[in-house]
Amino acid sequence: MSAGAEILRLDRVRKSFGNVHALKNASMVLREGEVVALLGDNGAGKSTLIKAISGVHPFDGGEIHVRGQRASIRNARDAMDLGIETIHQDTSLAPDLSIARNLFLGREPVTLPWLGVFAPLDFTALRQAATVLLKRVGISKKLDADVLVNTLSGGERQSIAISRAMQFAAKLIILDEPTNNLGVEETHGVLRFVREVRAAGHGVLFITHNIHHVFQVADRVVVMRRGEVVAERNVVDTDLLSVEALIMGVDASTLAKDTAAH
Amino acid sequence: MTVLIQPFDKPASRWRGLAGSPQIASLVILAIVLVGFSLARPAFLSPLNISNMMAFLPELGIIALGMTLLLTAGEFDLSVGATFALGPVIVMLLAQNGVVDIGTALAIGLLVCIAIGAINGLIVTKIGISSFLVTLSMLMIVRGVALYITQGFPLKSWDQPGVFVTLLADSFELGPWRLYTSLWWFIALTALAAYILNFSKLGNWISAIGSNRNAAVARGVPADAVKIGLFIVTSVLAGLAGMISAFRISAASPVAGTGYELEVIAMVVVGGTALTGGRGTILGTIVGAVMLRAIRNGIVLVGVPGLAFNIFVGAIILVMLILHAFIQKRSFRR
Repeated sequence: MSAGAEILRLDRVRKSFGNVHALKNASMVLREGEVVALLGDNGAGKSTLIKAISGVHPFDGGEIHVRGQRASIRNARDAMDLGIETIHQDTSLAPDLSIARNLFLGREPVTLPWLGVFAPLDFTALRQAATVLLKRVGISKKLDADVLVNTLSGGERQSIAISRAMQFAAKLIILDEPTNNLGVEETHGVLRFVREVRAAGHGVLFITHNIHHVFQVADRVVVMRRGEVVAERNVVDTDLLSVEALIMGVDASTLAKDTAAH
Repeated sequence: MTVLIQPFDKPASRWRGLAGSPQIASLVILAIVLVGFSLARPAFLSPLNISNMMAFLPELGIIALGMTLLLTAGEFDLSVGATFALGPVIVMLLAQNGVVDIGTALAIGLLVCIAIGAINGLIVTKIGISSFLVTLSMLMIVRGVALYITQGFPLKSWDQPGVFVTLLADSFELGPWRLYTSLWWFIALTALAAYILNFSKLGNWISAIGSNRNAAVARGVPADAVKIGLFIVTSVLAGLAGMISAFRISAASPVAGTGYELEVIAMVVVGGTALTGGRGTILGTIVGAVMLRAIRNGIVLVGVPGLAFNIFVGAIILVMLILHAFIQKRSFRR
């Protein structure tokens, strides 16, 4: 699993909400063809970190480098333009819109582009591109691009969000709890996607509470505690208990004794 | 991953899909209402009665177009009835006191409407107060201003012919019917609104914002700007409708349009637009506008006592909404 060129480098980034220092001093690196799991207990600052990378709210300080270039991300559009696509927890799709309209939301193909936001959608291009995309990511040939998203299952929705990210992301895909509320089969579908994304040379950063998934797809874990990155491990060099110990900030041997006692 | 979606390949299921859409259901009910009134009282179809309905229809219908777009984006506006009154009141006050000419007065009136919409939109999006509370307060402020600057008395409207009167409130004969130019405004604005909602990039954004605002924002859609724009459009259309009405009846009353906000919202939701946002239909709104107008007119014609009249209007609206709820449930179960 040789990692490629550097995609994202965060250097001592900070973020506060009033008096709450959600991110104090977080630094990390992510490379091409690499799956990094971002771990940490509730309130560790994981969501704040990825929301800042995806432009939902900007960092207060520190530096972001994307593909070696100093970057500034002030909104979702900036992040997308830098090739960073984020699949937010439960909020990625508009349920009342068709699959095709969702896939191209914010990047609609239009005819007469000089009309700006009033430009007519290019429905032929929209439907064709959506059909190609749905086939390419291997969801199902039967899934019609005109079907409304609110008729789909959770797993299907997640697949569509991921395939959209694959379509547009030049380099980095961020997933916030991608397997939350999914069934076993759907979860495997999502993990398979993550591997496909890595095989295609994209970088993946994902948040999860399910440490088993980490060992199934991740190359590296980054552990956060109280707004700081406190540890990094290659998955091949560590084990489940050690990672849990890192998340809780306790000694792995204590945790082992604890577990054995039960 | 298993797929539970059934392709719509059988003609029978496509037919059912069509009948199950809220717009078509509304259209069917409208047809029943129109046929029912015509049978009960042939005078319902008389040229005079139709002309009468057509004079009123565009005024509420124009506001309903803006309200449809706003509701689809997940917000609504209770201040439209008051704006309907304040717009023309300002125009008449300025023009009749000779402060400015009528053209400038109309422009200033519309600017005030833009300001009302912008304030509504800014408070809702930037401060994050629900549009119900913001526009309810705005209703009182705007109505209060209209009453205060007129001292409560209706103003005599502009009665000198001119290009603006012709544009807004001229009437003409078409066969046996007497129609107003406002009908052209209504048709043109309907076409524009339908185009925007169904075929344009902006329409995709409007539906997405109402359906899941966070998802839209995460895709780089400027949700706040779109909502502010729609609040402005709704206020301007309400003011324009008020001016059309004032020119038509040659009077600008500070209490004009009282209760229009609820009537307009009723038209929009009866047509099948979701009150919760995400799903909007201009065709449905037209059906809703015609239906409410026809019901108000028809109920009087068939001889329901004046005071009992609102009972029927309310009951018919309720039936429509129950019907939509059933259609909605069935389409999810499929």
